[in-house]
Amino acid sequence: QKVSVEVLDHLEHLALVDFRDSEGVERLQKAIQFADQLHEVNTDGVEPMDSVLEDRCLYLREDDVTEGNCSKDLLENAREKVEEYFVAPPGNIPLPKLEERDTFLQGS
Amino acid sequence: VLNRRCVEAAVMTGLALKCSINKKSLFDRKHYFYADLPAGYQITQQRVPIAVNGSLSYSLCIDNKMSQMVTKTVRIKQIQLEQDSGKSLHDDTRSQTLVDLNRAGVGLMEVVMEPDMCCGEEAAAAVRELQLILQTLGSSQAVMAEGQLRVDANVSVHHPGEPYGVRTEVKNINSIRFLAKAVDYEIQRQIEELENGGTILNETRAFDSKLGCTVPMRDKEGKQDYRFMPEPNLPPLILYDAKSLPANMNHQQVINIDWIHERLPDLPSVKREKLVEQYEILPEHSFALLNEDGLAEFFESVVKQTQMKPKKVIGWILNDLLSHLKQHSLTVKESPVSSFLLADLLNLLEKKEISSTVAKRVLAELWKGEGKTPLEIVKEQKLELLQDQKELEQICQAVIDGQENE
Repeated sequence: QKVSVEVLDHLEHLALVDFRDSEGVERLQKAIQFADQLHEVNTDGVEPMDSVLEDRCLYLREDDVTEGNCSKDLLENAREKVEEYFVAPPGNIPLPKLEERDTFLQGS
Repeated sequence: VLNRRCVEAAVMTGLALKCSINKKSLFDRKHYFYADLPAGYQITQQRVPIAVNGSLSYSLCIDNKMSQMVTKTVRIKQIQLEQDSGKSLHDDTRSQTLVDLNRAGVGLMEVVMEPDMCCGEEAAAAVRELQLILQTLGSSQAVMAEGQLRVDANVSVHHPGEPYGVRTEVKNINSIRFLAKAVDYEIQRQIEELENGGTILNETRAFDSKLGCTVPMRDKEGKQDYRFMPEPNLPPLILYDAKSLPANMNHQQVINIDWIHERLPDLPSVKREKLVEQYEILPEHSFALLNEDGLAEFFESVVKQTQMKPKKVIGWILNDLLSHLKQHSLTVKESPVSSFLLADLLNLLEKKEISSTVAKRVLAELWKGEGKTPLEIVKEQKLELLQDQKELEQICQAVIDGQENE
């Protein structure tokens, strides 16, 4: 099945990706098809593995302060700052709705 | 990298709240965009949190009468470990948000309760008890005003017998008092909305403490899709107990649930029971003692140093000492009158060398902190009770004679 325009639009909102053109969407379709091959394996009764690290020990760090006091270095990267705060717009600026943006998805 | 102390605190809290501790818990990423979340995701435990299925018991006064207390329970759905985001300060005048990233990445423990509470008073009492438990365990200092304990209230209404209604989430609640107000306001708002034929939106609202109401929060664009995925950098968190303890692992990397359980301090409810039993005070007294930091210890210290019965001492602690402290906005630690001085004063009273009215006066005098002992103040102001029969007769006679001459 093809991925619907609604889903593509939803993905662009959520992850701020830009499929750009039909080639981008085609690549997504192919990636999904490739991953779908996993369904061919019978996994009844098998615990899902979510990480190759699952047999490793989760390292626990002691509660000691080992770094810090580097606000000057960190703030150097900011284009705008006020005292020791980073400045950001007043809120999230959501991606405009499908009808209102200039995207190839509109045509589909 | 996971901090060991965070895990210990979560296990302690889970045990104190009678939860099942998951020996294997997992970490996930919760994705959303916001200026105070630079990575674009928050590490949390969505699939398998560290503790589940507990309960918290708390007490309420019926009709504001401390003498009639009823015990209620709220179920704890789960406790999960997660990362904190930065702090946003909204500057509406300049149309910008200032972001402080100092606390970003710091470990948090989220306690999720089931909807077993029915009003602001119950929510406030439950959270207060949770606060006391956290402080007793040392998991957190739990001061709401400083953001050490944050409460988001989920509120819904429904007719009896019907399923639960749509819930709203109320944020920006900065004290226990405001929690009660916010919950009660939201309940009223929802009832009025429904009675007027409207519907409740599943939205996030902010509590405005100045106006005492809740308002829709900006930036919450409908239902969020967090695209949860396992956190690839953190393997499962494995906890052990006495039986499953691995033989040859680095001690510092092992957390033993049973070891922690054995070392849990007395929880507030246990402390209260012990106070009532040991000192023969009323349950409501024990609540008042634990409600103020250091007060129970002060009380016990006075009891040790005086012959007055604890049942009588408690009145002096809860009525006199406490009201002086409140009047001057002092904590018990800042009291100008030490337990030693108070015990000294109560001894004078117990030996009937002064009356209780005089004792109150002397306490007020001691409060000035001029370094005088109770006995010195009594002698200076000649406040002793006269014990001599003859002297008393003489005085009475003189008064009577004085009357006759008019």
